Amino acid sequence: MNCTELESRLHPYVDGELGVDDMAAADDHITGCPGCRGRVARERQFLQFLRQQPRESAPEALRELIRVQLVRSARWTAVRRWSAVSVAAMIVAAALLPALRSSTPLVSELVDKHIAFAQMEQPAELVSADRHTVEAWFRERVALRVTVVDYSMSGIRVIGARIAEARERPASYVLYEKGHIPLSVFMVPVKEAEGDLWGKRVTYRGHEYVTLERKGYRTVSWTEGRAIFGLVSMLDYDALLECADKLRAERARQAPL
Amino acid sequence: MTMWKGRLSGWATGEDRRREFEEVALVHLGAIYRSALRLTNNRAEAEDLTQDTCLRAFRGFHRFDPGTNCRAWLFTILRNAFRDRLRRRHHELLDTESADWDGETPSVTSEGMARHPEEEFFLTALPGDVDRALRALPLPFREVVMLSDLEQLSYKEIAEVVGCPIGTVMSRLSRGRALLRQALGRFAREQGYVKESP
Repeated sequence: MNCTELESRLHPYVDGELGVDDMAAADDHITGCPGCRGRVARERQFLQFLRQQPRESAPEALRELIRVQLVRSARWTAVRRWSAVSVAAMIVAAALLPALRSSTPLVSELVDKHIAFAQMEQPAELVSADRHTVEAWFRERVALRVTVVDYSMSGIRVIGARIAEARERPASYVLYEKGHIPLSVFMVPVKEAEGDLWGKRVTYRGHEYVTLERKGYRTVSWTEGRAIFGLVSMLDYDALLECADKLRAERARQAPL
Repeated sequence: MTMWKGRLSGWATGEDRRREFEEVALVHLGAIYRSALRLTNNRAEAEDLTQDTCLRAFRGFHRFDPGTNCRAWLFTILRNAFRDRLRRRHHELLDTESADWDGETPSVTSEGMARHPEEEFFLTALPGDVDRALRALPLPFREVVMLSDLEQLSYKEIAEVVGCPIGTVMSRLSRGRALLRQALGRFAREQGYVKESP
């Protein structure tokens, strides 16, 4: 790739939206070209600046007004449905809902962590783009075999790591970024009985995962032995499942069962 | 265990549906409102548009696929609601406008392309400068920059919201960012923070 080609792909490059081959070619070019390196750094700085703009929230009065309108609209829906749906079915639904809603899933806790970390100036305790450094850092700190996968071919970069707390015990947290979108990868040790996950079961490349959306973030989680893995991001499910699949494969390769 | 929504939404009462809507969609109210503000440039109108969007989304909530990005879905509804308004006011230029812009853009100077290292507006920009600069962008660029850089949607999601190919998203984004940067540089000079280039 030359400078002109990089210039034409600059935006998808910094956004992590280039294809695998272009991404690698762009990386190669940038390594050897200080001019383009500076250009990329400036573009990243600009995007960072945009991202840090204060976010205005909706006025409280508007929020209230919308709630009232929804309640009113929901009543009408209910009236219409009562005539169409049998009372028996309604009773079943009413009996099931509270039971399914009551437990706070571990994944919700991870989403809260993801949000909290994303708001911190320095979310990672260890800042490193090198996966081996990150793995070694965890070896000294947690009793978990943490695997850090290289997702750079999908435009996802390792940013760093920290020890997070989930279910009141230490968990590993690896932070990645695709363009400007953070991706958190958690590994939480669990007791056997806690291995049940809450959400929608999906099968991806022959393995089962659980997906759940919370507060606008998508999560993909699965259990492996005595640990739960959880990916949290605004990235779409295809990207998350691909990352999950790579992580699972990498762990299987490192320690064949 | 499947998500209860999939199984029970057909039976759920309006009240359950509302609660679920609040949990899944209404958490994005801030994002809808901010975007409405950026589209309309007017607070009263933005509030009205936000209400309209939420009610439309609630009525169509059964069409939302829980495996997809709810924010992107809401932005699509917001965008449609906004365009309906413009159309009602006989702003029929919308579509032809965007088509023209993909070919010819307001000119981006070399400054907009950020070839100069002295862009210091990062440090000196006043609160509200970004929104002011954004407001000056033609709609097709504004919406793409807004969805990507302020609301963090992926190119694929933006393409779906805006209803155009990913290639168009890319070209609008790169031009939009250049125009935005140019406007910010201009504000910084007007405010006397950055000296004129020699």
